[in-house]
Amino acid sequence: MIAAIQSSAVNAAPATGRVLTVDNLRAYYQTRYFGIEREVRAVDGVTLHVDRNEVYGLAGESSCGKTTLIKTLVRAIRPPLNVVGGSVTFNFAGRDCDIYALNQSDLENIRWRHLSYILQGSMNVLNPVRRVQQSFVDFAYRHIGQPMPAFLKLIEAHLHRVRLEPTVLDAYPHELSGGMRQRVTIALASVCRPDFIIADEPTTALDVVVQKDVLSMLRDVQREICSSMILVTHDIGVHANVSDRLGIMYAGRLAEEGRTVDVIRNPRHPYTSHLVTSLPRIGDVTQKRGLEGAPPNLANPPPGCRFHPRCPLAIEICRAEHPPMVDLAPGHRVACWVTAPPIKPGALQ
Amino acid sequence: MLTIFRDLFRYNREFRIGALLTGFIVFFAALSLVSPYPPQDVYIVPPDLPPSPTYWFGTTSRGQDVFWQLTFAIRNTMLFGFAVALLSRLLSIAIGMWSGYKGGIVDRVLMSINDTFIVIPLFPLLVLFYFVMRDKMSWPLLALAMACLGWAYDARLIRSVAMSLKNREFTQQSVFSGMRTSEIVLQEHLPYVLPIVFYTTMNNMNWSIGLEVTLSVLGFTNIDTPTIGVMIYWANQHTAMVAGIWWWIFFPVLFVIILFIGLFLLAISMNEYIDPRSRLARMGGMRG
Amino acid sequence: MSAAGPSRGAYPVRGTSKSGARGDPAAPLLDIDRVGMTYVGGGLFRRSAVRAVDHVSLRLEAGEPEIFAVIGESGSGKTTLARMILNLATPTDGTIRFLGADVTRIRTNRDRMAFMRQVQPIFQNPFEAFNPLKRIDRYLFVSARRFAGARGRVDIEVTADKALHQVGLSLAEVKGRFPHELSGGQLQRIAIARALISAPSLIVADEPVSMVDASLRMSIVNLFKALRDELQVSIIYITHDLATAYYISDRVLIMQRGKAVESGNARAVLDNPQHPYSILLKNAVLSPDDAGRPMPPAGAAQDSSGIPVSNEE
Repeated sequence: MIAAIQSSAVNAAPATGRVLTVDNLRAYYQTRYFGIEREVRAVDGVTLHVDRNEVYGLAGESSCGKTTLIKTLVRAIRPPLNVVGGSVTFNFAGRDCDIYALNQSDLENIRWRHLSYILQGSMNVLNPVRRVQQSFVDFAYRHIGQPMPAFLKLIEAHLHRVRLEPTVLDAYPHELSGGMRQRVTIALASVCRPDFIIADEPTTALDVVVQKDVLSMLRDVQREICSSMILVTHDIGVHANVSDRLGIMYAGRLAEEGRTVDVIRNPRHPYTSHLVTSLPRIGDVTQKRGLEGAPPNLANPPPGCRFHPRCPLAIEICRAEHPPMVDLAPGHRVACWVTAPPIKPGALQ
Repeated sequence: MLTIFRDLFRYNREFRIGALLTGFIVFFAALSLVSPYPPQDVYIVPPDLPPSPTYWFGTTSRGQDVFWQLTFAIRNTMLFGFAVALLSRLLSIAIGMWSGYKGGIVDRVLMSINDTFIVIPLFPLLVLFYFVMRDKMSWPLLALAMACLGWAYDARLIRSVAMSLKNREFTQQSVFSGMRTSEIVLQEHLPYVLPIVFYTTMNNMNWSIGLEVTLSVLGFTNIDTPTIGVMIYWANQHTAMVAGIWWWIFFPVLFVIILFIGLFLLAISMNEYIDPRSRLARMGGMRG
Repeated sequence: MSAAGPSRGAYPVRGTSKSGARGDPAAPLLDIDRVGMTYVGGGLFRRSAVRAVDHVSLRLEAGEPEIFAVIGESGSGKTTLARMILNLATPTDGTIRFLGADVTRIRTNRDRMAFMRQVQPIFQNPFEAFNPLKRIDRYLFVSARRFAGARGRVDIEVTADKALHQVGLSLAEVKGRFPHELSGGQLQRIAIARALISAPSLIVADEPVSMVDASLRMSIVNLFKALRDELQVSIIYITHDLATAYYISDRVLIMQRGKAVESGNARAVLDNPQHPYSILLKNAVLSPDDAGRPMPPAGAAQDSSGIPVSNEE
């Protein structure tokens, strides 16, 4: 049982340690419509962990499974999406909890107090017919557990800390610009000082100038409340500036993972190195190339390594078997037969 | 096309029931072709007999076999409803899509006409129509009159779909591919409009049958041709309920209810299938 | 000069001059002269005017194919400008001339077809650009019939196939497919192929790669380069992404709130922006090369739309 904790208390857990452990998670969309059965392997064996006070970036293109992975992490799944295997374990307030083993009321206690999210469309979070202050009350009041006047003072203090005007509380969401709304969403997600925040493409729909400010705010908020974060976006530039560690997803699996600076400066997986080098930069006029082919259809993925049809380095074994994740350097894992062959069978991460 | 019906029949319960009910009625109506008695003759069998092995649904006070009368009645009613629905669909699709795509002054003019037709009270108008036409009243004429009154509401529905389609990028793509307006409206937009059209067709059939029954019961149509409403009219004329000849009213009412329910179930089940969104979901247009 | 000449409805083919046809062969390809668009809103008692585009001018020369990038954020008016060039919206002031002829004077069907033959669009969302319920090859075939004058099944298919080859695809891969069966990159390429069938001299591309996956993006961007170099097509490339604009454009125009803020040679402007807004834009770009460097803290941040008003495009 996770009890509601006073929000003014700093997170009681130690400053290091894992907050999230995902172990061989598999989640498929299994549909049966008019006699046709389809199984889309959106997340197919993902293992990762996130430490305290760390931003873990998740990058990948469309239909790589990252959105499904997020849904699975917060247990926001409904048939036809089913978890077929693996586990998701959080560590809140020093105690491990398997999110799929909780009952409904525990889940509600956790959500927002220990685990909150920032979604892509801020209008998806803020109720358009209620003022911003009402949204704060809807989401956070029951977790903070203080009488209303004290609660409102708390909100104002929080807004002040994240450099938002308190006047924003009286506005309706549509009266605010996109950037302001997203900042309000970040303030909303962080008001209970959760252990873990999930941010799904928080700045994708925003202008470039606004994006930088919103990301700065996100980073500052995360640092201040010492929460961990998974930041999902396809934009490598964003990861370079915000994420501490970076995981590259391709077709439902992790291709590479490590510290952001390692993955970007020294990519080992052919997909990652293509992603990083093919991005044009101001001041750079060298020729860039695109990748052949297209991301695979997850209902019928290619056998073996899912990247092999498009990979310039593919060898025989890539077509037959999926490569295991191998530690190339401490904290830098890669799944590739060519660039990271396992040293001996069984020496797997 | 047939595979669609086969799949629907196998997997969709509403469609199955709807198809069975409607199929039963259609079969029953087809029996009228082998009726031993001409529909308009009276006093051919002993009157006022309750249902029995010889006369399955009994006989009427006018000496007609209820069973065979009903075959003609349900056939005529169905044909009537279908004709009205078809004619009024043509009108509502044409007006709705034209108005929605063109916009501007064309839209304003057409929609003013449309709203006038929505507001007009139909029933008094049809009664007036009867009194004006009197002896020249015939079923085709009545069908035409009802079709001209029954298109307005659905035209607005179709127009709103057409308006939203006009703003979608593939419409611009079609324009820049050199497609003519008629091609765009008929080939690109119509598939989106069809689910609504199909649903409104069933609705319209139910509406027109209901109106026909009402008019006939009151005697405002050609009462020599047997339809469901006309049967009930004659039953009322002979005070069948008071005289205890319940089977004269019961069976027509039962059959028209079966027809209504059958059509309704067909409409809602097919609708789910034709609707573009569910079609896309089935085709697998889901991106991760 | 009015455009009421003999209505032959034919524009000169790019580069060559056809005397007597409408439009002056020596005229610039596209001449946008102080064009503006005002949206009037508000009710009975209070009218408000929004200047979506305010006195923007640009000029593309015929016979000198180039890629001209229009850079701006949402609300900058870049999409409105694109629509005006394509004759999908009428400017409230200023003129737009294509090959000397005023675009807003296009009335007859013939003129419209002649215009569309020369000017083609590419849209932002490849999944919305095609009717999801219809097969993709349809658009190619209709374009072949109406613009390339192809007759008969074989001729039409050959024309479509040739256009697809120019973008690195073939009719065999595409024939009979529905949009959802293909990736965003392929769909965008098919859209480009369709636009090429009429042999246009100008393509207006509105954020063509923003919705395409990163791994497929550069092949489309490189394709635009090839269109300019090999097929002599000028491209107006509308984007918010400075990096791709830097990579392929020859000239660049930066817009803010409907006004043209800075313009000139692409490399010169983007390497060394002068206007404060351009500098702000450039500094806001997040590059993968920033990895390892700490992110500057959020200053007294006023975003460019910091006032609490919703003004997205």
